[in-house]
Order: sequence, then C-alpha cells, then structure tokens
Amino acid sequence: MKRMLWIGLLMGLFVLPMGLFAQETTDVGAIKTYLMTNVTALQTHATRLEQAALDYYNLAETAGFDYAALWSNERVETSVALLTAKDAWLIASPLYEQVEGVVAGVPLLSQFDVELDAGVSGAEDPEGGVRFNLTLRDGRTLERPGNLFGVLESTLWGTREAYTTGVRADLNLNSSADFGETLPDAALLLAAAETFRATIDDLYQTAEGWTPTVEDAFTALVVMVPTMSEYFGSWRESRFVAGDDATQAEFVVISRLADIRDILGGLIVIYDSVSPLIEGVDPAQNSQIRQDLIDLQTYVNDLYTQEQEGRVFTPEEADLFGNEAQGRAQGIAGQIAQIAALLNIALPE
Amino acid sequence: MKPYLILCILLLGIGGMFTRVVATSANNPPQHAESLRQALFNAQVSLLNGDRSAAEDATRTAQQLYQQQLQPIAQSITPDLDSRVSVALGQAVLQAQTGETLALAANRGQITIDLLNISAEVVYAAIERGDLETALLWLPLRDFRVSTRFSRPSTQATRALEQLQTGRLDPAQALSLVRSDLMDTYQAQLTLSLQRADEAAERGFSLRQAEESGRAAAYFEILAPAYGDQYGTTALSARQADFTALVTAAIGGDQTAFSATYTQLQTTLIGFRAVPLSEEEAARRAGQLVRFLALVPIEYERGVRHGVVINDIEIQEAFTFQAGANAAFNDLQSRLIALDPVKTDQIRSLLAEIRLKIETTADPNHLRADVDQAQQLIAGLLPPEWLQGNAGSDLDVILSVLDQVEVAVVQGEYALAESARLEAYALLELGLEQRLRGFAPELAIQIESLFWQGTAERPGLAVLLANRAALSEVRQTLNQLKIAFDEAELILGGASAPEAVIGNASVIVFREGLEAVLILASLLASLRSAEEKRYRDRLILGAGLAFIATALTWVIAHRLLVFLLPLGERLEAIVSLIAIAVLLVIMNWFFHKVYWTGWLANFHTRKRQLLGGRVTITLSQTFGLVLLGFTSIYREGFETVLFLQSLVLEAGIMVVLQGVALGLLGTAAVGFITFKLQMRLPYKKMLIVTGVMICLVLLTMIGHTVHVMQVIGWLPITPIQGVFIPYWMGQWFGLFATWQGILLQIVALIVVIGSYFLAEYQTKQHRQPTRQSVAS
Repeated sequence: MKRMLWIGLLMGLFVLPMGLFAQETTDVGAIKTYLMTNVTALQTHATRLEQAALDYYNLAETAGFDYAALWSNERVETSVALLTAKDAWLIASPLYEQVEGVVAGVPLLSQFDVELDAGVSGAEDPEGGVRFNLTLRDGRTLERPGNLFGVLESTLWGTREAYTTGVRADLNLNSSADFGETLPDAALLLAAAETFRATIDDLYQTAEGWTPTVEDAFTALVVMVPTMSEYFGSWRESRFVAGDDATQAEFVVISRLADIRDILGGLIVIYDSVSPLIEGVDPAQNSQIRQDLIDLQTYVNDLYTQEQEGRVFTPEEADLFGNEAQGRAQGIAGQIAQIAALLNIALPE
Repeated sequence: MKPYLILCILLLGIGGMFTRVVATSANNPPQHAESLRQALFNAQVSLLNGDRSAAEDATRTAQQLYQQQLQPIAQSITPDLDSRVSVALGQAVLQAQTGETLALAANRGQITIDLLNISAEVVYAAIERGDLETALLWLPLRDFRVSTRFSRPSTQATRALEQLQTGRLDPAQALSLVRSDLMDTYQAQLTLSLQRADEAAERGFSLRQAEESGRAAAYFEILAPAYGDQYGTTALSARQADFTALVTAAIGGDQTAFSATYTQLQTTLIGFRAVPLSEEEAARRAGQLVRFLALVPIEYERGVRHGVVINDIEIQEAFTFQAGANAAFNDLQSRLIALDPVKTDQIRSLLAEIRLKIETTADPNHLRADVDQAQQLIAGLLPPEWLQGNAGSDLDVILSVLDQVEVAVVQGEYALAESARLEAYALLELGLEQRLRGFAPELAIQIESLFWQGTAERPGLAVLLANRAALSEVRQTLNQLKIAFDEAELILGGASAPEAVIGNASVIVFREGLEAVLILASLLASLRSAEEKRYRDRLILGAGLAFIATALTWVIAHRLLVFLLPLGERLEAIVSLIAIAVLLVIMNWFFHKVYWTGWLANFHTRKRQLLGGRVTITLSQTFGLVLLGFTSIYREGFETVLFLQSLVLEAGIMVVLQGVALGLLGTAAVGFITFKLQMRLPYKKMLIVTGVMICLVLLTMIGHTVHVMQVIGWLPITPIQGVFIPYWMGQWFGLFATWQGILLQIVALIVVIGSYFLAEYQTKQHRQPTRQSVAS
C-alpha cells in the first residue's frame, strides 16, 4: 500500500510538469477553408459580372455608344445584361462581407480589402486610398477611383453622375422608373468588372499560398472587431438613413447593417477557431468574449430587422447606435488582445 | 512523520507554486459595469423614444447595480469617486424622469468613465497591498486605445500583472507599468473624446456631443493628478473649470461657448503627457524622428521639378515621412520642452513649415533648408544616448519604405518601386545588416537575397520588379521580407528558446540533486548498526532544513535580482558571468575526483568525530549531525540557486521553475530508488553523463553571455565570414557566428578539458608516493 502511494506520488510529479507543456489544439485551417469557399463562389459571380459587362459593352459599341438608341433598339438584351450584372453584384457583396474580417484582418491579404471594399479614392486619401487606376477601352483613365464594390455599385445603380449615361431605363420592365434604373457608362462598367474579377483571382491565388496561423486569427479579430464605427458611419451617410439627402454613392442597395452582421458572422467563425486556445488560458473569459461577439451580432441584427420592417433611423440615432456598437467592439478587441498577450501571440502592427 | 514524506511535501509545495491564481467568477466587476453601462444606454434609447417611465426604470437598474455590486469596494478604496458616481446616478434617475436627454447623455458618458477611474484606483490599491487576485479581477474593467489596422490595444498592464504573479516584477514595478498603460490609454481616449465631441457639434449631433463632452471631462479627472503635478494646482483648477464649461455648453446647446472652450482646451493641453516615455521608447521615437525627417527632402526632390509635381508617389512618400516625423516629435514633445522649450517650439514650427512647403509645392532647396535647420536643432537637443543605433527604429523606417514598394507596384510604377526598394536596402546596409550578420548571418543572407535575386523558394524583389511581376508575387516576397524582419527583431533581442532554458535548468538541478542524494546516501549507509541508525533522523532533518534554506536563498537572490532589474541587459551580463563562474567550479569539482573523494571523506570524518563510537547522544552531537546533513545538501542548493538566477533573467521565473520541477522530479526518482527501494544505481556513469551535459550547458551559457555583452556593447562584434550557423543553434546552444563567441566557447572547452587532465595528473602524483611507500 505504502509502495503504491509512493508510485502514485512520483507519477503525480511526472504529470504536473507535463501539464505545463500541454497545449490546447486549435483549428485555424478552418479559417482558410471558410475563406477559400467564399472566394471560390466570389470568382463565379465576378466572372458572371465581367461577362455581363462585356455583353453590355458589345451592345453599346454596336450602337455606337448612343445609349438612347441602345435602349430604344436593344431593350431586352440590355436589360438582361444589366440585371445579370446587378444580380452578380448582389450575390458577390454579402459573400465578400462574410470573409471581410479575414481578408482585412490578415496582413498578407489586407490590401485586397482596401481595393475591393474598404478603400476610398486617392483624392480623398492620398496615403491610404486604393492604389489601382481604371484604364477604359476608350482611352480614359480613372485614377485611384475608390474601392471596386463601390465603383461597380455606383455605376450599376447610377448613384454617381459621372459613371452613368443619364439615360433612364425601365430594366425590370414594370413600367415605372425605379431607383437605380439608368444605363451605366459601358466602358467604365467593363473596366471596373474586369479589374474586379482580376483582383478576386489575385486574392484567390494569394489566399491559396497563405497558411493561416494563430497570429493571423488573433490579428484579424483585434483589427476587424473594432471597425463598427466605420460601418455605422457609412450606414448613417447612406440612403437607408439619410434618404434622398444622402450624398454617399455607395451602400445604396444593401443596408450596411446587413454587411456588419455578415462581417461579425465571419469574425465569430475566426473566434471559434482559436477558442480552444483561449479556453486553456481563461475558460470564463473565453465564453464571455464569445457571448459578447454573439450579443453584438444580435444587437446589429435587431437594428437590421427593425430597418427591414420599415423603421427609418435618423442620422443622430444611427450615430448613437453606432457609438454603442463601437464601444462594445472596442472592449471585445481589447480583451482578445490581452489574451493574445498572455498566450505570447504577437499581433503585428 | 517519515523524512521521505517531509521531502515529498516540500516537493509538492514547490509544485504548488505552478498553480494559477484562479479568480472567482462570482464577483465580476467588468460584467457588472457593462450591465450598468447598457442600462444607461437603454435609458437613453427610451428617452429618445419618448418613454420616460422605461428610461427611469433603466436608470434605477443602473443605480441598483452600482449599489449592490460595485459600491462596497469603491467606497472603501476611493470614497470621493464613489460619492461622485452615486450623485451622478441619482441625477440620472431625475434626468430620466424629467426627460433631460442631453443632460442624461453627458451624465452617462461621465459615469461610464468614472467607473474606469474607480477600477484603476482599486487595481493600484490591490497591487500596493499585494492583493493580486483583486487586481486581476478589476483590471479588465478598463478602456483600450482604439485599435486600428496599424495599432493594437496595449497589453502592458496585463503583462505586468502576469509578471508580478510569476515573480518577475515586484509590486512597485508592476504598479508603475499598470499605471503607465492606463494613463497612456486614457490620455489617448481624452483626445479622441474631445475630437468626437467637436465633430458631433459640427454635424449637429447634440446627443453625441454631450456624451463625448461628459466622457472627456471624466477622462481628464483620471489624468488630473498627473496634470496637477506637472502644471500646478492653479492650472489644474483652470482645466477642470474648462471641462465643466465644455459639458455645460454641450448640454445647453451653446455652440459658441462650446467652440471657444474646445479651442482653449486644445491649446492648453498641448505638450501634456500623463505618462512620460520610458528611455527606451524615447530613444526609439528619437530614431524615428531623425530618420523620417532625413527622408522627407529626398522624396520631395524626386517628386518636384521647377515648381511642378512630376511624381505623385514621391510626394505622397514625403508626406508619409513628414507625418511619421511629426508623430514621433509629438510623442517626445513633453520631454523636449523640459530640455529646451524654445528649441522645441522652433522644431514644431519647422515641422509645420515643412508640411506646408510640401502642400504648396515649394522650392525643394527651401524645404531642404528647413529640414537641415530642424536636424541641427534636433541634434543639439536630443540626449546623445537617444541617438545611438536602435534596431527598433531602423526596422520601422525600413518597413515603412517597403510599403512604398507595394504602393508603386499597385499603380504599375515599377521604376518607383525599384527606387523604394533601393532606399530600403540602403537603410538596411546603414547599420542593421552589420548587427544581423554578427548574430544571424543566415537571416542576413536571406534578407539580402529577398531584396535582390531571391531564395530557392521565392524570387527576390529586384528580379520581380525588373520583370514587372504580378502584384501577388511582389506581395508574397514583401511578406517574406517582413517575416524575416520580425525574426531579425527577435534575434537582436537575443532570447533563448524556453525549452533550452528548461533543459539547462533541469540538468543543473538534477546534477546537483544527484550529488546531494549520493552524499546523504553515503552518510546514511555508513550508519549501519542498530544504535547508529537512530542518528539517521538527525542527518535527514539537517538535509530537510537545507532544502528550506535553499528555497529561502532563492527568495533572497530573486529579490536582489528584482531590485537590480533597472540595470537591464547589463544585469543579465553580470549574472551570466557569475553563473559561468559557478559552472566552472562545478566542472572543476566534477573532474577532480580527488576533491570528490576528499569531500565525501571529510563528511565521514566529521560524522566519526561527532559520534566517536558512543551509543548515547548529547545535544551538541545532535546539533552537529543536523549541521552535517545541512551542509552536505545546502552547498549543492546554494550553487544551483546562484546559477538559476541567470536563467531567470533570460527566460522568466515560470520557465525556469518548469526546469526546476523536472530536475527535482529526476532527483526525487533517484532518491526514491536509493532510499526507499534500497537499490543501487550506476552512480558513477550518471555523474559522468550529467557532467558532460553540464559542460554543454556551460558552453551554451558562454555563447549567450557573449551575445548579451555584444548587444550592450561590452564586447565588439566580429562576424566569421563564410560561416553560417542556423539561428536555432543560437537559441539552443548559444552558437553565434562571431569570433568573440566562438573563441570564448573554445577557451572554455580547453579550460574544462585541461582541468580534467590536471585532475588526472594530480591523481597519478597522489598515487605514486603511495605505491612507492607500499613497495618499500
């Protein structure tokens, strides 16, 4: 009995240090799977959009870029091309938002977010704005015009005067002039769609060569969670809140609240991939952070639901709700950064 | 109680040191504060919706939460703040009842930040009285600097508490770091709240304007003691009055008064820094200021010809470097004002003038003249130690220039990308590369390859840019370069692999433990007769006391170390030298079997003198036997403690304690087999194997010590050309390709081997006369 006690004690002494070396397992590979699945789907719709833009360009070219004549003579073909392009954009946008947390949060990929969805024009921000130029087939060049989702949206829905032809077109053939029913500048639409598809392809290739690390996952969370104020800011300025007074050409089709909800969904996927690691450091904090993320997503979704049900928020209310979301997000990101520090995970700046 | 059991309890006691301090979740101040904050937000939303009753209910919920969950400790630690919050919560209820939306918004902002103030005070008090559990519980109730794509929330306070918990910091040091993190954060938040209040005023968002004004006023209250210390009580009272006026103007909708007060605050808060920069941070910022400023005219001259911008990107780069220099200057400003307010003001004006000249496309010569003047002022103002080479600031500038390569490629400007690449490479060559070649030549080669022709895995930047490669290709190489620079920063920091430290600590502890077990076993075994066996307990008691004394020695040595921590890397070098001396003594002891035999014989002689063949035992004999047991073990313990302090400095106490645990585990196993199972182990072989392992530890230690001494400039760095040693060998075995490191390791090896042959020679000399006397 005594001997057994001794053996037990010795085994205990062996087990104690072993426990110190034990590491929780994480599955950061799931982040890449999630990203690649979405980017593959994005490629499909970027290609559809590019093809539709090319079809529209060919129609316009045939009409000698006389858009009034084009609408008069090729009504059905023009409608099909533009509605296909819009449909592709409407599917691509949320697909991207779902992975924006990963793209924008991983240093290797973050520039793609600037070009695709987050960057303003070079004129607005010479240092941080988008870096590409759009070279049109007719020889015009749009220098650093702003992110591609935004350029495509304002071109397809005619919210930026310079990108449209001014020709109204009842694309859905319902005999009324609905919002966004104007013919876009075909050369601009094609250049933007081609650059968009090429950028998505580039993103795919770069992401394929990317091996996600725990550092990537933590960086993405700490960088992307506290961006609520930016998104709420664009929501506040969009026509969903400002109505006809809106000066913003983007975010006119899908409410920014839906984007925020999708982004948070992607961030929860990332969090789940590192959650076992955090559980090993502080189980209570782990469940608290996850709950806070879900609460934040629920909070945004509640606002979106109210909006869908017809509530029109005032800009001041949008500001108040955005500030609340930002405060919560900042706290969550701060706590994740503390856990990263305790795990000795470096978050590159 | 059996002596073995005592030993086990002691071992388990040390094991218990590894257990975490687990905070109870029943009391969760951050969660209660968040619930309170959300209740106040709900009250605000209810007022917006015109529902005063719901707003009142929500404010009462907030009040109850405070009274039940947070007030008890707030009242005891910081009664003034408690009173302020209690009053504010009472006002919130009234404001909800009367529908004073703006007043509630300002009050809500103030209460939220006051809770952070309370938390900070609770944490400080807890650290001061050594109540780590409370500090850990309350610290998460804090704010963080706004995290962006380019900056991360500070983790200094969290790390400080962790280091306090693991004994790497004493309470005073931890308190200073926690305070510095929180003050720095709240100063940044104060600036941000003021800006937001102003932006909200411009947009006509009165709710937000009131809330941010309330927050700004409360943030200033957190910083008020520091402001009072630096500017005096009169100025402090004036600023507090300004903040009160700001809040009043925001609530009253008086935009003229708001604007005037805002401007007044912006002006009077210039140069105020609640937490002065540390010397290391100041040196880093100084390096950035000097390097970024030097790059401004270079970029600008490339971008402008005859008053016309010929290259946008170069102008953007000039803007970027000017902004970088300006940011570094702002961080240093309060320190510089203390050195020379006039010169500081001149530099500030020149920096603004330089920006204006870039904006207005001024003559490059005029801009160059401003930069030269600013550089002269800076050189005369900054302390020389700030201007010494700093790997961190070098890296900042190189990475910043590399970003410009990417920008140029995105725009299809490959010639400009090439220009930026050359610039980054030139910066690398200026200083960083020499150090890197000394410590990690393989990495230096890799970095150089990535700049030029590339590695087997990745084409280099020069090749990619010459071939106008796709952006994704360029990005991947840039990313590789950034990873390599991260590693370079790590190497220049010079840390050992934790596993290597654990291994080294365990070898030493096991080796010394083995010696202790053998001495004790030898002494115990010599007490064979039934009468003598009774004395064994005294010896074991002495050994147990030695164990406790070793633990106490550890505590004293560690406290001494903590006291000397401000010496920084110099302390590491000094303690490493002591550790090497200890190791050399151990090695000498190991090889001189004469000493070993003599040492054992000495114990036996002392034992015989004490007992003298007597059966009854006196008090003095008891004391003598206890002392014999004590000295036989404590000598080993003392050596171990001294040696381990060097590892503590290198890798931290927790890492070293893991090695100690492993070593003790091995010792306990040998002790168990020897004492309990009465089995004989191949002790001689074990001593030889552990001796060889200690020899390796000695060589590793010498390599690391030379590395540290080179980092702090006590030894020169002479790279061995053509020799590449992987970095992991540096981390594990202290092998760095510098002549100084390698030669000293060879010298140490010669000393150890020489010591062995000397010992052999002495043994032979000792035997010869004995043989001769036997023969005669």
